[in-house]
Amino acid sequence: MMDIFYDAATKIQSKPILDWKAAGKPVVGYTCSYVPSEVFHAVDILPVRIRGIETESMEIADAYFGPYICTFPKCILQLAGKGKFSFLDGTIITPGCDSMRRLDECWRKAGETYPGIVPSFFYYFDVPHKTMPHGMKWFTEEIQNLIAALESQFGKKVTEDQLNRSIHLYNKGRRLLQELESMRSKKEIVITGTDAFAVTMAGTVMPRDLFTTHLESLVESLQKKEVPGNDPRKRILIIGSISDDISLIQLVEQDNEAVVVAENLCFGVRYEGNEIAETGDPISALANGYLGESTCPRMYGKYKERLAALKDIIHRAKVDGVVMQNVRFCDLHGSENGLFERDLEKEGIPCLRVEREYGPLVEIGRLKMRLDAFLERLSN
Amino acid sequence: MKVAGCDVGSLTSKAVIMENDRIIGSSIVKSKAKPQESADAAMTAALAQAGLRLEDITYCVGTGYGRDRISFVNEAKSEIACHGMGARWLLPSVRTIIDIGGQDCKAIRIDKSGKVEKFITNDKCASGTGRFLEVMARVLNIGVDELGQMTEKADSPITLASMCTVWAQADIIKYINSGYSVEDIGAGINAAMAKRVAGLANAVKPEKDVCMTGGVSKNKGVLTTLEKVMGVKIKRVRKADPQLAGAIGAALFSQEKVNNGGGER
Repeated sequence: MMDIFYDAATKIQSKPILDWKAAGKPVVGYTCSYVPSEVFHAVDILPVRIRGIETESMEIADAYFGPYICTFPKCILQLAGKGKFSFLDGTIITPGCDSMRRLDECWRKAGETYPGIVPSFFYYFDVPHKTMPHGMKWFTEEIQNLIAALESQFGKKVTEDQLNRSIHLYNKGRRLLQELESMRSKKEIVITGTDAFAVTMAGTVMPRDLFTTHLESLVESLQKKEVPGNDPRKRILIIGSISDDISLIQLVEQDNEAVVVAENLCFGVRYEGNEIAETGDPISALANGYLGESTCPRMYGKYKERLAALKDIIHRAKVDGVVMQNVRFCDLHGSENGLFERDLEKEGIPCLRVEREYGPLVEIGRLKMRLDAFLERLSN
Repeated sequence: MKVAGCDVGSLTSKAVIMENDRIIGSSIVKSKAKPQESADAAMTAALAQAGLRLEDITYCVGTGYGRDRISFVNEAKSEIACHGMGARWLLPSVRTIIDIGGQDCKAIRIDKSGKVEKFITNDKCASGTGRFLEVMARVLNIGVDELGQMTEKADSPITLASMCTVWAQADIIKYINSGYSVEDIGAGINAAMAKRVAGLANAVKPEKDVCMTGGVSKNKGVLTTLEKVMGVKIKRVRKADPQLAGAIGAALFSQEKVNNGGGER
């Protein structure tokens, strides 16, 4: 049952994507959770979140980005240069953070040296940092412009009915993911954090209809699963910088002394947290859902909201300790993790703050030593 | 009842054998390519000193980077817990431990009972570790032990522009070629190291007493400069070699396990 999720979560060119391409349908990649997938789904384009897994070296990315920058966009550029994203008919870059914004320029520039790596549809989708009325208006217009660009590039018309149907289907997936989250919060551990993360990761790259069907079966089977309620494993919440690599969660769980019961990561369930309103104008509804209710650290003035959301998860999922990781040079999470640590430790919630490199887990020894020490601290 | 602790580090491996809270054998050997070989060498030397065989050891805890790959240990513990435990045995009043080993640097704050409250390790690179000093001593053509004495002999220590091990090396070569004395350069290296470590140590909000463990704690120059930079007195460890702290902690965990009725080899 988990195989299809793991295939999608651990391979860039996974079977569902290849099948989609074989059927002659377009695939568009995007780099940030603010891009409303529904607008692609509405016209039978597969939206695929662009990832950095499978990176083996950094010589192309180093030439364009330099050394002092987060390794996530660098891994993406490296893979692009190596032709790993050759299946994309379009790419959308978003300013999730400044490093990701620079990916737009670096990818275009690299295209001069590595011909064919910039798809004919290469689009910059801007996202405001505030949810004030002018920010919301701006974002709504960005979605409208994106739709117009898609229509012109792919020769398709996005109608209100199609959008409403897509929103309805995506909402069904969101409710199922929320159900999965509430199951993970219970004392009885029916699913490991690694499995759950593989599922949410898969949701960012699989065709939505296929994903929803498999997710529904998984949730049903987990609801019937009987497990003991007194699991001795420590319950961990993982937060911080972008991570699309299940091995980070595996590292926490590998000795069977801890289980990741929740995460607040860009690729985790956070991006699916809010249902989109199914009444009124669908584009405004998408703008409200994707930006208006966002609690991602790139947004200005939302620290208190994010802290409250974390405390809620900690309480709900009966979390024993919080692992805060940030990719080196990550301004957003690097600074915010320090604030979270200060505020959560004050309330007696143990925290471990670690800085790491994104990509193949090159620092397993050091990370593992710190995780072990943290788990020992939780056991005392 | 005899127990042991074995700490396989990146540069050196240490073993300690204890009986009734007393060290009866110990060793520090250069680490080899494989953790098992390092552990064997350290343990054989410690056993020889105590006049014992491996069969005489009731329980053994392993720690360090190779802790999971030692055949004779009964249990593995993290270096953080072991250094915390070991330092408290060396100096019962200690609350903050600065441990500088071969490839990492840790600051650990413990509570009165020895439990780890907070810890931090270096994230960036080799700067601020024993490896940094080793590389610099080699460039100066002196032993790493001699480097520690340079601070008190120096007239006007140099300032290093970069803590990057590679750049600092280039910097030092420039100072040597410009005719600066080995003492002034050595003192500058110790000071750079101390400043780097102070930043890390301050991040755990150190509480008194503070002590240093690990191989670098034997470098007087780093220790005295660190005291100045941090503005705290660093208590000297005299009960045993501070480089053994991790292995002592591991042996103490073994002792605790056996005393609580657990563990037979």
